[in-house]
Amino acid sequence: MGLTAEEQLQRNIFVTSVDWVFNWARRSSLWWLQFGLACCAIEMISAAMPRFDLAERFGMLYRASPRQADLMIVAGTVTKKMAPVVRQLYDQMADPKWVISMGSCANVGGPFDTYAVVQGVDQVIPVDIYVPGCPPLPEALYYGVLELQNRVIRYDSIKKKHGADAAEADRQAQREAARAALGPRR
Amino acid sequence: MRAMTEEQQVPVPAVRKREPWQTGYWGPTDPDEHPAVIAVRQRFPEAFEQAVNFRDEMTIRVKREALREVVAFLRDHPELRYNHLTDLTAVDMLNLRDEPRFDVVVQLYSIPRRQRLRVKCGVNDGETVPSLVPLFAGANWLERECYDMFGIVFEGHPDLRRILLPDDWDEGHPLRKDYPLRGYRDYVQPGFERPAPRVRGSLPRPRP
Amino acid sequence: MIDFTQPTPVLLSEERQITETRRELVLNMGPQHPSTHGVLRVRLTLEGEMVVACDPVIGYLHRGVEKLGESHRYAQIVPWTDRTDYVAAPSNNLGYVLAVEKLCGIEAPERAQYWRMIMAELARIASHLVWLGTHALDIGALSVSLYTFRDRELILDIFERFCGARLTTNMMEIGGFSRQIPPELPEMVRDFCRYLPKAIREYEDLLTENPIWLARTKGVGVVEPEVAINYSLTGACLRGSGVNYDVRKAMPYLLYDRIDFEVPLGTHGDVYDRYLVRVEEMRQSIRIIEQCLDQVPADGPLMAYESNYVIPPHERVMTTAEDMQRHFIWVIKGFSPPKGEVYHAVEHSKGELGYYIVSDGSPIPYRMRIRSPDFVNLQSLPYMAQGAMLADVVALIGTIDIVLGSVDR
Repeated sequence: MGLTAEEQLQRNIFVTSVDWVFNWARRSSLWWLQFGLACCAIEMISAAMPRFDLAERFGMLYRASPRQADLMIVAGTVTKKMAPVVRQLYDQMADPKWVISMGSCANVGGPFDTYAVVQGVDQVIPVDIYVPGCPPLPEALYYGVLELQNRVIRYDSIKKKHGADAAEADRQAQREAARAALGPRR
Repeated sequence: MRAMTEEQQVPVPAVRKREPWQTGYWGPTDPDEHPAVIAVRQRFPEAFEQAVNFRDEMTIRVKREALREVVAFLRDHPELRYNHLTDLTAVDMLNLRDEPRFDVVVQLYSIPRRQRLRVKCGVNDGETVPSLVPLFAGANWLERECYDMFGIVFEGHPDLRRILLPDDWDEGHPLRKDYPLRGYRDYVQPGFERPAPRVRGSLPRPRP
Repeated sequence: MIDFTQPTPVLLSEERQITETRRELVLNMGPQHPSTHGVLRVRLTLEGEMVVACDPVIGYLHRGVEKLGESHRYAQIVPWTDRTDYVAAPSNNLGYVLAVEKLCGIEAPERAQYWRMIMAELARIASHLVWLGTHALDIGALSVSLYTFRDRELILDIFERFCGARLTTNMMEIGGFSRQIPPELPEMVRDFCRYLPKAIREYEDLLTENPIWLARTKGVGVVEPEVAINYSLTGACLRGSGVNYDVRKAMPYLLYDRIDFEVPLGTHGDVYDRYLVRVEEMRQSIRIIEQCLDQVPADGPLMAYESNYVIPPHERVMTTAEDMQRHFIWVIKGFSPPKGEVYHAVEHSKGELGYYIVSDGSPIPYRMRIRSPDFVNLQSLPYMAQGAMLADVVALIGTIDIVLGSVDR
């Protein structure tokens, strides 16, 4: 085909990695699992409803089945009775999958430091983005979703091929690095 | 919209408002004048123990064995008609007295007469309380919750099992006073060899 | 997750033959299900499309609020009451605060009581809007939820303007309000009261005469009045069956005895009647709010002062020695109510919300019991679901109006 590079560019051909194209598409159509646990779920619904319109703006759509979802927003308190269910839902989601932990309860247990509550959903499933607040405003959830999109675009599918364990260990290392960067907790 | 039935049209006695907590919703403040106290004392002279008034709220304490008969009597009495079981719960009196350990507290309400009443009975660990499910279907879950949280066994309950905590919960009954607020152990994800560190990990948990 | 009760035809005992002829199926609905309003799980035994038995499994959101209440001081517990029923948080604050005030024997000033009523009624409307949206969404009318959540944001704006939080407001304190009423707040509430009747008409245009809505709700989940009383139902579940019991009328708290409003009652006790009752309750709440706004004093104290149970105002702490001491003790040690026990009930948007507090004379409640309305109401689900179709179960869960945080506490 005697096309020079200049002519190719005029035909809107561009060269990139397969990962970047897939990630670009994934980033803008994150479908999240319709799955509310507690108070934060109401704010999550509010964020998806007309005033804030999270779903339409970011190409997001809630799906009731974990098989069709890319993103799990853990919105609310994870109790010891609920934790196996959360883990099972996470395992049922197809790769690649991301998790946003929304609200203080899902982050660290929140105000419920009791016998029945898991102190942070990251003891059950790996978490990518933590959104603070009790409950977070819809704007805060926006910010979390935007941060997640920045992370999705860097997603490396080759690394993923080593297996889910390696990817999870990688995330764990990232989390621990982030915690170490924050300094010792009081 | 349905008109009120004849039973519900009993006129409400005019209430003289004295203090914000003295509203007359629990009947006369003097136990000797309260019709429910008089009736229960006459009908159950052995089972009746005490009638206490605090903040206008009338509490009748009866013996544990007679709880169901007393509540049935209060429900079916033509002039009392406490036909609505508002609440059934328990209090662990471990720090306040020696015997008996628990108080089972029954809140009754009379829809036609618009009056409340509280019936209590003491129960020790290992003893049973007659279930109120034959009288009120609404007592079912309340008693299950009581069993779950305190370990009080209700005799005659059709389906007494845990309700709020998982079925395989083996750490005891959390609302007892000797149970620590944070429980005995953290949640460990099955299959995780090295669970994630506890973020707020400064508070050690007591041993069981 | 489907579990056939007849897994294999190899070993047929007598009982298994019976189940095979009846062809029963156990269907597990939840805890992750779009129509269970959270984390409710229902074990349904089906025979074809008919529900034979129904066993709600709750506790997936049990967080131990009652135990927390026994380990913190009286004034510290208010934020947890928000989080038990998070769609109508001010009503929960109100129930707890009134119970503690009754225990201590104090009363909030008149202006604070009017504003408490306004906030509680706004919370009732907000809760009913969430209920209406999700209930209609479950039955298949998606668009109603868009309208109701649009209007609910206006209430959340009022809450946010008053106390800075949208959902978990933590707005009431023992003795009144510690915040001042913003000067533009009454006008915001009035604007909302002018707006909402039009919006309710909009919802009713969408639903009340809608043939699909009528087919899905009329004659479904009928509860007779005697059964409703026997199941200890309260709120719209009880009034939908025609029993006239509303705590605001039966034993008026705050200043509800000065307000003129009606208690809507249903006739048949089915899902449709409970829908009508709740929609009418929203109109009555508007009436209550408007009367409160007319009667409320323009200025005056919002916090009770003459007692040791309430934190003294800031300017007096800075100027008088006694109040500084009181403030110090209140903050460091907390206040100690007299020994005793009280039960105080308020009319929550879902029914009678009662707080039973036992005090042993220390600054920490000895026992705090939350009688949450939807925990008691939910146990009538097996009764309603008997003989219903599988698709009706979703309508029945919606009509009880549960919030799982309040059910499990």
